[in-house]
Amino acid sequence: MVVTINPTAVSILPFLVFMVPLFFGGLIFALGRYGKFFRQGLALIGIFATLAISIMMTGRVLGGEVLTWWNNNFYIDGLATLMELAASGLGAIVVVYSIYYFSEKTEAAEAHPYTSMTSYYGQIMVFLGLMNWTCATNNIIMMYVSLEFTTLATVFLVTFHWNKQALEAGYKYLLLVTVGVIFALLGSVLLYAAAIPYLPVSRVLLLTELGTIATKIPTNIVLLASAFLVVGFGTKAGLVPFHAWLPDAHAEAPAPVSALLSGIVIKVGAYALARTISVFAPHYGTIPLFIAILCSISMIVGMMMAMIQDDLKRMLAYSSVAQIAYVIEGLGMGTYLGIYGGLMHLLNHSIVKGLLFLAVGALIYATGKRKVSELSKIKLNMPITAFAFFVGIFALSGMPPFNGFVSKFTLFLAVGQANLLWAAIIGIITSLFTLVCFFRAGYKIFWSPKESYSVGAETTTAAEVPAGMWVGMVILAVAAIALGVFPQIVHPLLDSATKCILRILIGG
Amino acid sequence: MGDLITTLMVCHFIASVGAAEIRNLKTSTIFLMLQSLLLALIIAAFAGRSQNYSLYWWVALTVVTKVIIIPGLLWVHIKKTQVMEIKPLVSFVVSFIVLAIFLVAFYQMVHTYAGFVAPTAAAAVEPARSALALSFTIFVLGLYVLVIHRDAVKIIIGLHLIENGVHLALVTLVPQLPVSTVFGIVSNVVFAAVMLLWLTDNIYKAFGSSDTMKLSSLKG
Repeated sequence: MVVTINPTAVSILPFLVFMVPLFFGGLIFALGRYGKFFRQGLALIGIFATLAISIMMTGRVLGGEVLTWWNNNFYIDGLATLMELAASGLGAIVVVYSIYYFSEKTEAAEAHPYTSMTSYYGQIMVFLGLMNWTCATNNIIMMYVSLEFTTLATVFLVTFHWNKQALEAGYKYLLLVTVGVIFALLGSVLLYAAAIPYLPVSRVLLLTELGTIATKIPTNIVLLASAFLVVGFGTKAGLVPFHAWLPDAHAEAPAPVSALLSGIVIKVGAYALARTISVFAPHYGTIPLFIAILCSISMIVGMMMAMIQDDLKRMLAYSSVAQIAYVIEGLGMGTYLGIYGGLMHLLNHSIVKGLLFLAVGALIYATGKRKVSELSKIKLNMPITAFAFFVGIFALSGMPPFNGFVSKFTLFLAVGQANLLWAAIIGIITSLFTLVCFFRAGYKIFWSPKESYSVGAETTTAAEVPAGMWVGMVILAVAAIALGVFPQIVHPLLDSATKCILRILIGG
Repeated sequence: MGDLITTLMVCHFIASVGAAEIRNLKTSTIFLMLQSLLLALIIAAFAGRSQNYSLYWWVALTVVTKVIIIPGLLWVHIKKTQVMEIKPLVSFVVSFIVLAIFLVAFYQMVHTYAGFVAPTAAAAVEPARSALALSFTIFVLGLYVLVIHRDAVKIIIGLHLIENGVHLALVTLVPQLPVSTVFGIVSNVVFAAVMLLWLTDNIYKAFGSSDTMKLSSLKG
């Protein structure tokens, strides 16, 4: 395949996209205690500035440029813009949602002094900055460093409620992901060391150079490093069997944080795999097979564990384990169609899982309950949340005309093309069971007859959440439908992102 | 020079096993400190041998973070809680014998088949060959500590053994790593350790124990 090589342009934007949120995060930490504006206002300004920068970068990248800064150490191509647009977009919705989600009461009573609202907004901004840094950097070791820092920055968001469960979840999250990601460091070091003889010193650490030497690195090193990278970045992404931390962390965090964790944080693991493993996949037939087996196990385990949950947030968390496997399976195929489908599902899952966690957050906000068995006894008058929830579950399980259908269909085609038909069948079955699992939960919560269960006169109807919360949900739900009906809207971006990986593959 | 490096490596290995196996947490922390100090000395010896003075950054950062800050914080934490470790899953004698046999065998295996894990020809030549085998051995030892031990302090020690193993591999394989990257990696380690200790402190307050096996309210 002939891929044209885009002209590179030196620009400050790749630097600003992570420095702006980091700067505002620091500002919130310093000034947040002086009043609401210094927390919420600064977070809003910071996140919308970041979103504006991401949109500007997307415009330039779609115009055929590649933005670099500091001797190619920061490198923004289609893939990086896709990630940063998703992170900033979901980040903006989450920040707006958080302002309404945490009541004054939460601010005063529930939160531990160390995990005040100041540090909540501060950490969200710092986390988004680090996330953007991970995607903007082109240095294989710095990618590990910033990726590990995204874990560290979210630990105290997970422990926000500061009760036993939250502390336990935070501890497991920090320990397991740190240990897992060290494997990725070892893998990165092996690749880096193997590249030294073939490249000049100034370019040896660059991810974009990896493709030029993919065939020169000894086979045993490629396979060993790939195994370490899959364990490391797979832990970050939450693949089975490295997923033990994920359901705890995603369920015990406050709902807007869960939306960020499931929507963005686990995707960065997939992104890192796309930058590294995809480079070798076409040259080594065992890598796609290995990834397909791992991802199929992930799908089955994630789906089965989701089926038996009563807690809605744990159900969503386990479903993330299954869904991230679709993304990584596509990326691991190493073909245009596979990478395209994987990236499209990455974007779609960000939208849909963000939407679902925000909808569950709305249920928690209105009722204080998060278990299906408890919610099914409460009368709900929440039409917008119900709409958002059902759009979310149909899109998540890949039903037409929602966005999940398009990406999953592409993925199944790609997996079939790679002669891994059994993996496509497992993917389809997992999708069907996802629908069963979530539709049953949705039916119980929103449709089942409530009168017979009513506990007393006090259990009045739960009202719809404030507009600031549902606006974000509606935006995401509309996006889920729009991308299902008109998937060509995102085609230029996905095409550009896919070609970035392919360009690394052919060594440009 | 070769003898010095070999001696340091043997001491490093013994200190690592000590840090992993000794059940008195204070003694174990001292062994961890010694282990890190020996790592710094090995790196310094490499630096002197290859005339690569940028490696002294590694030495300085290792001494500051791994010899002073982290063991110091661990020490303060142990003083506040208890000195003896919560009984691990395997008794001391069994663990020690199994570990000694396994680690020596593992070291021999990696050392013999160094060509498989060495990405460059230079890495398969002494003393890099031994250092690489040692780093993988320490890495496995750290993983073993994480699996077998229940005490939260011991878990942090295990994490450090893993990290020290990887850092030894890093120095051996890519001694010319830019200083900014070295800073990034080391600051990562310090942040992770401080946060883990802080959470351990608070878990001790909330659960009244540093037994990680009791962290099981979230299941299924």
